Amino acid sequence: MTAQTTMSAAPINQRAATRAQGIRRFKWTVLTPFLALMIFILGPALLLQGYFSFFSFSIFDAGDDTSFLSYFRASQWVGLDLWADALTDSKFGFAIVRSLMFAVGVTVGCFIIGFALALLMYRPFRGQGFYYIFFILPMLTVPIVIAYTGEMILYQNGPLNDILSRITGLRIEAQFLYKQEIALTTIGFMEIWNWTPFSFIIMMAGLASLPKEPQEAAQILGANRFQIFFEVQLPLLRPVILLALILRFLESMAEFPKTWGLLQGGPGSATETIPVYIFINAWQYFDISYAAVLSYVVLILMVAIVMSAIWLLRREKKNLDAMYDAKPEEG
Amino acid sequence: MAMTKSQRRMSFSAFRYLVLTFWLCIVAFPIFWMVSTSFKPDKEWFAWPPVYISENATMMNYLVVWADVSEYATNEDGDLETYTQSLQRPWEALGNSALISVIATTLSVLFGAVLAYGVSRYQILSEGRMFQLLMLRMVPPIVLVAPISIWYSALGLLDSITGLVMLYFLTTLPYAVWMSKSFIDEVPREMEQAAEILGASRARTIWEVVLPLVRSGLVATFLFILILTWSEYLLALLLSKTAVVTLPVELSKYQGSTEGRVYGRQAALSVGITLPLIVVGMIIRKHLARGFSFGMVRR
Amino acid sequence: MTKNTFPKVTRRQALKTGATAAAVGAAGPALTGTAFAGSVEDRIIAAAKAAAPGGVDVSGMMWSNYQVATSGAIKDFGDATNIRLPKIMDISTFEIPQRAMAEALSKSPEFDFFHVDSNMIPSLASAGLLEPLDEYMKKADFKINAVGNFGKFMTYKGKTYGIPTDGNVMVQFIRKDLFENPDERKAFADKYGREMTWPETWEEELELMNFFTRPDDNLWGSANLRDRGSSLVWWYMYLYSAGGFPFTDDMEPNINTDEGIYATQTFLNVKSASHPEAAGWGTPQMIPRIINGNAFSCQYWDGIIALAENPAKSKTTGKWTYGEVPGSKFSGKLIKRSCSTPVVSMLVNKHSPDKEAMAYMAMYMGTSGESAKIVGDRVNTFHDPWHVDHFKPGSLPEKTYTPGGMEAIKKNLQVTTPPIYLTGMLEFETELKRNISEAYAGDKTAKQVNADTTDAWARSIRRIGKRRLKEELETYKSLMPTIDVPA
Repeated sequence: MTAQTTMSAAPINQRAATRAQGIRRFKWTVLTPFLALMIFILGPALLLQGYFSFFSFSIFDAGDDTSFLSYFRASQWVGLDLWADALTDSKFGFAIVRSLMFAVGVTVGCFIIGFALALLMYRPFRGQGFYYIFFILPMLTVPIVIAYTGEMILYQNGPLNDILSRITGLRIEAQFLYKQEIALTTIGFMEIWNWTPFSFIIMMAGLASLPKEPQEAAQILGANRFQIFFEVQLPLLRPVILLALILRFLESMAEFPKTWGLLQGGPGSATETIPVYIFINAWQYFDISYAAVLSYVVLILMVAIVMSAIWLLRREKKNLDAMYDAKPEEG
Repeated sequence: MAMTKSQRRMSFSAFRYLVLTFWLCIVAFPIFWMVSTSFKPDKEWFAWPPVYISENATMMNYLVVWADVSEYATNEDGDLETYTQSLQRPWEALGNSALISVIATTLSVLFGAVLAYGVSRYQILSEGRMFQLLMLRMVPPIVLVAPISIWYSALGLLDSITGLVMLYFLTTLPYAVWMSKSFIDEVPREMEQAAEILGASRARTIWEVVLPLVRSGLVATFLFILILTWSEYLLALLLSKTAVVTLPVELSKYQGSTEGRVYGRQAALSVGITLPLIVVGMIIRKHLARGFSFGMVRR
Repeated sequence: MTKNTFPKVTRRQALKTGATAAAVGAAGPALTGTAFAGSVEDRIIAAAKAAAPGGVDVSGMMWSNYQVATSGAIKDFGDATNIRLPKIMDISTFEIPQRAMAEALSKSPEFDFFHVDSNMIPSLASAGLLEPLDEYMKKADFKINAVGNFGKFMTYKGKTYGIPTDGNVMVQFIRKDLFENPDERKAFADKYGREMTWPETWEEELELMNFFTRPDDNLWGSANLRDRGSSLVWWYMYLYSAGGFPFTDDMEPNINTDEGIYATQTFLNVKSASHPEAAGWGTPQMIPRIINGNAFSCQYWDGIIALAENPAKSKTTGKWTYGEVPGSKFSGKLIKRSCSTPVVSMLVNKHSPDKEAMAYMAMYMGTSGESAKIVGDRVNTFHDPWHVDHFKPGSLPEKTYTPGGMEAIKKNLQVTTPPIYLTGMLEFETELKRNISEAYAGDKTAKQVNADTTDAWARSIRRIGKRRLKEELETYKSLMPTIDVPA
């Protein structure tokens, strides 16, 4: 747009100015409701959260005070005490580790399966539509439904043990949910089942959009299937792969319905992930201040992860653009 | 090695069908099990070996859960007793769920698409801002729900459809913008310019040129966001009381049941929760086929 | 009923009321015995009419499973006073404590009552949610007439905050058919060198449970819960019967002691007689095991008696015998302690504009006659006997719970105990549950459990306020039984 204005004469300049004004007006008309919601809904929540993280609020001190100001009257300045508590809280540390492990496992699982399926399916074949529609079904299933249906299937006398027993000929009585060592993994598999379609769809779109010419060129040059995949297709897919990974990772960090709906953090503390731990502190202990501190720590952690993810994404996208833009010169 | 090209193609094809069918079984089994359990009489819920397809299939689970039917049994004294009954309100929850998710999704997609159009055509948000927007989605809701509930109770928004719709709108907007932007980006600008040169107004250009080309994409976006809002559990659980109970929350009430797991009833309710989305998905399946890439590929 | 727009409900309600009426009719003698109760009910109705002339609609948190049995009493009260309950917030009794606390946090007047475990009274009262009922009780001249010390479970710092509808208490369940089988008795005597007797101590019970653990027959000695949810009830019985108490008089954690470690160790020992999946089983998974004959014995909530004796639901009707829970000689003498939680009770919201009317509705549900109908419901057996009159021969609850069952309930009520009856109960319990279930599912020792819990409790005490908690200790201790074993 700037190029246009400098090149053009005065009257056009004026027209461009009105046009720019129109765009600005359009921009603010669109953004205002959104920003208003941000400021009036999320803003105060964040401020309250900040307040409670430095002022310890006890619901039991607010008892006889019926006004809304009681939240402030029943709070005491404690400075960084709660932050120190949170940073030395080993349960919280374990929760973070569990969540990270869970998210990494689920992300990788979803991605590998989703990508493999997409690779098998992105070229047209008989039955493509049929498989496609079935493969996205898990995404259409509500997580809490998956949790309860999962319990029915994984129950010790349930069908999964029965099927495994029939296949192996042994009497298998695995306790998928109630063994401390594997409970979180089991939830992880439910999550993978649930969200593989997401990675699958993204990778299908990615693969389908790949330009044919480079592949054909490589084929003519005598490259085999694997070379084409690793050297031609994969580099072009890097941004979309990264995006699929990042979105899935962040969503699984926040996974709550399955973990809470089925196990509430147990057996032992095996499924006490970040959301479960914060939930327990905020909604069982009503330790609003401590939960606020935990939330801020998680917020900071997430923002750090997201920022680096975004940095990576933007770099990949730029590389991709550069690759495409450079193409004509190569040709 | 000695395989000809067509042999190789054949064996690849066989391999493909094998793998895909294997995954199909994994995908279908839980859904099959849910449906099958919903037709089982109570004696078969926990039977060993498990009953796969009940020979005594019954509609009772559906009737008890959805039609408020009670079974009656007579005890040894000849007194009539209520045998089982459901006191839940699934239809009300279904109504709430439908209302909340459809309103929030429509708002989110409409608004997201307009914003995306602005970004795509006039760069009203820089790339950096777009990524910041995505960040909104990436904060786990649990970290904000406690102060939001205090703030909502001060505003009188607790237990209201508006309150939930606003939050769903905010948390799904990033996806709406990103997804629709990737579709709008694909529409060549030359087409719009051509229409404008032919004298079409801006609005008419958007309506008649851009919209038809992005319709599939918007429908896919709509479905994806509908999935998120329809199945949301945490916010719906903590910010509602009596007035706005959604289906996932209604289902979770079986968690504390003390008379043992009522698998059949749970399954009957689960089917009811899942069916609407699947139906919607089936209706718009051809729009889904192009997938969504969030603009991370070049076409 | 929540769905009273459907015509079917009317039919069902009619049938149900009919059934109840028939049952009440059959239990005629019990009602003549409580003829005076009618006048209590009249007084309550009169007071309610004065408090809310013309009536009012109230609402509250209640689990529908509990609501069914109370709907008769609520309907009668509504017909007399026009104070009605058209809509409840239907959530599980195990979730109501948290949700009620959330109401306290938002100081909401939306719910007039909370039908919740009375052991939440200290927390909810401290958070300013509860209305003391003494004044209203005086107006209607109503008293809670419960067995043993049980009435005190409704009090906190000298005030009454709740009306019980459910006298939950742990009762010993033993499979009579196995226990009395001569072959089994002989095999047991051969193995352990003593006669098979009713377990007086936890150690004797464990021997019995181990003896009857037969995985090949899908039979397990114990159906005691060991999950993270509600299994602390057992721990309290172990601790109190060993002569322990969770806190010192100075309100310091007092479980890293011999008694505390004994309690935790006893809890863990039952693993040898429990199903391997028990670590994840709450009561929804365990109850089918009990009534389907997969367990030899347990301590369990008395309501399961009614379920186990209902032929429409149970495969083990008539095969059970009920009695006193075991105790411990750890302190040098035999002490038996049962435990009561959740004691589901009607608590009134202080922020409610209709709190007085609500208080009368609660009292109405707690009268001798109405409570007998509530706990006597044969199908919806969620409310258990607690009123002195429930235990009179020929009463309606006796028909539901069998005379043997009623005797066992009464005995156990005499030595029943509360869980940690202090502000912050949820927090104290969750910390202990976390550690104890880690030990049960993993390799933590009893000593580690109690040491880690002590640290966590110290933090909770600091947060909630030591002075406040110290003031509450007196109430907590006043709830403890004064006799060692049931009379």
